Amino acid sequence: MDREQKKNELIGFLRTIQRPDYPHNQIDEDSSLIESGLIDSLALLQIVTHLEQAYDLDFREIGFDPAELRSVGSILNLIARELKS
Amino acid sequence: MFVDLQVGDLTEPLTGRSWKSQEAMAQIFQRVELYGNQGIRRSERVFLFNGNNLEFFADLLALWYVGACAVPIDGRLTPFEIENLVKTVRPRFAFIDSTLDRATMTALSVHGVSPLDIRAHDRDGVRSSKNYAPRGEARLDDEALILFTSGSTGTPKGVVHTHRSLRARWMALRECLGVESYHRTLCLLPTHFGHGLICNSLFPWLSAQHLFIAPPFSTDLLMQLGRLIDEHEISFLSSVPSMWALALKTSKPPQANKLRRIHCGSAPLSAYLWRQIQDWAGIKEVYNAYGITETGSWVAGTTVGEFEPEDGLVGLPWGAVIKILRSAETAALFDNNAQCRADEIGYVWINTPALMQGYFNQRELTDQAVSSGWFLTGDMGLIDERGWLYLKGREREEINKGGTKIYPTDVDAVVEKFAYAQSVCTFAIADPLYGQNVAMAVVLKRQDAQAIQALHRWMKEHLADFKMPQRWYVVDSLPQNSRGKISRQSVQEMCAGLPPLDLPALLRSPS
Repeated sequence: MDREQKKNELIGFLRTIQRPDYPHNQIDEDSSLIESGLIDSLALLQIVTHLEQAYDLDFREIGFDPAELRSVGSILNLIARELKS
Repeated sequence: MFVDLQVGDLTEPLTGRSWKSQEAMAQIFQRVELYGNQGIRRSERVFLFNGNNLEFFADLLALWYVGACAVPIDGRLTPFEIENLVKTVRPRFAFIDSTLDRATMTALSVHGVSPLDIRAHDRDGVRSSKNYAPRGEARLDDEALILFTSGSTGTPKGVVHTHRSLRARWMALRECLGVESYHRTLCLLPTHFGHGLICNSLFPWLSAQHLFIAPPFSTDLLMQLGRLIDEHEISFLSSVPSMWALALKTSKPPQANKLRRIHCGSAPLSAYLWRQIQDWAGIKEVYNAYGITETGSWVAGTTVGEFEPEDGLVGLPWGAVIKILRSAETAALFDNNAQCRADEIGYVWINTPALMQGYFNQRELTDQAVSSGWFLTGDMGLIDERGWLYLKGREREEINKGGTKIYPTDVDAVVEKFAYAQSVCTFAIADPLYGQNVAMAVVLKRQDAQAIQALHRWMKEHLADFKMPQRWYVVDSLPQNSRGKISRQSVQEMCAGLPPLDLPALLRSPS
């Protein structure tokens, strides 16, 4: 999958966990997922679980900065870095 | 006033700001004079919006020195809910910080509440000598703390604790738990919450232990919890179960071998999660701490020696007597036949010197919950032959969203006032992250998209975000019992077979 495909896949997943009462028409790469109100903070757990399953990542092992889960763009960067390593 | 209560050091691990205990006392004494000059007097009730930082604790103790009562407020409430609390308590002052929004400031100002921000005051003129020690004005049975647990949209339910009841809680905890394991305590819970304030923070800090106070439920901190524990050599933290889902999945375990004990409370702790926490932390002393705001929070826990985690296991009382009775009627307290046998499930009643004075301005409600010093918890449980308490369910009407209690009536009260609402019923649904979440079934006079969008706007304006229903069901009628009352359980069962509203799509559609 290239970055664009990964992005579409990720946004598709985020749509399934977004807060029901936030009518976002589009999710861009840079917006903060939590501050924009798209998801609530504990939903980060669902993102982590999704990334573990989709990309075989183990977050307890890889050691990451929570800021890497801040936005779609930063998550894609995290995936790219971990797949490369 | 604080006879044998002595403050410890205070640190904000996220910012690195820190006060040694002497500096903390100097900060408190400066405020005593400053707030005295502002006209804050004994028995005055003061709102505190500035939780989870160093200043909050100095403000709290300064208020207690001048004999005032502290009312910590959940900053997530809407201006409408805050105005409702203001109308109930009628404070003259509110301690604020820069995070308070303009609409809330306006709501305070409309009701004549003066905002006080310590950082905005020039403190050069006040005495800050280490030798200056003001005389404490509070008396043991004065109101010390009011914590609002529900009713922010209707009739607010405020739990009133006196200095006597709070001190009784801290003394009981010292006796039952000691203070050694708490010498470097981390608090990740909100300070407007009995568990976070009275027990996680004030019990260690007022026992001269070092308190590390962090922003509440910070996901960034949870994802690096092991590192945080190591960096600050944390020996103790308390928690709610939902915090662990994220921490266990993302944070490396602590390596420094400084952690001694963890408490987990405010929501049911499964044996499975319990063992996972023990494994992650590398310690056996993970206690399920049973606490209720009315009893000054932690009132029982797993100080039983060797134990294996079990679903529902709590353990032994901490500064309380616990009875399991077959009835929730007060007459049962005096009926020997009403007491359950070992292992028999019944209603959990608690007697403790740390019991609240009562619900703020609600005599009838207090009388329903308290009789002859016994408090009806609303929990179901049993005591086994060893004397260990197990919780087996709740009779209370509340939704426990990851340890935060949401009262269905608070949501109902807002929806009922909406122009097109005919009837409404808010209920709990299972949630893989939070344990429970909020759902709502509503009968509307108009069911078109515009009406639903208007209802959504109305609710956003009046209801704090965390109370907003996660699932909406728009239905033609709600099932009623034989007395014409809507039964939450029947509504829950009815909705289980219905598709919820696709709210995001509906809100995206043109109005």
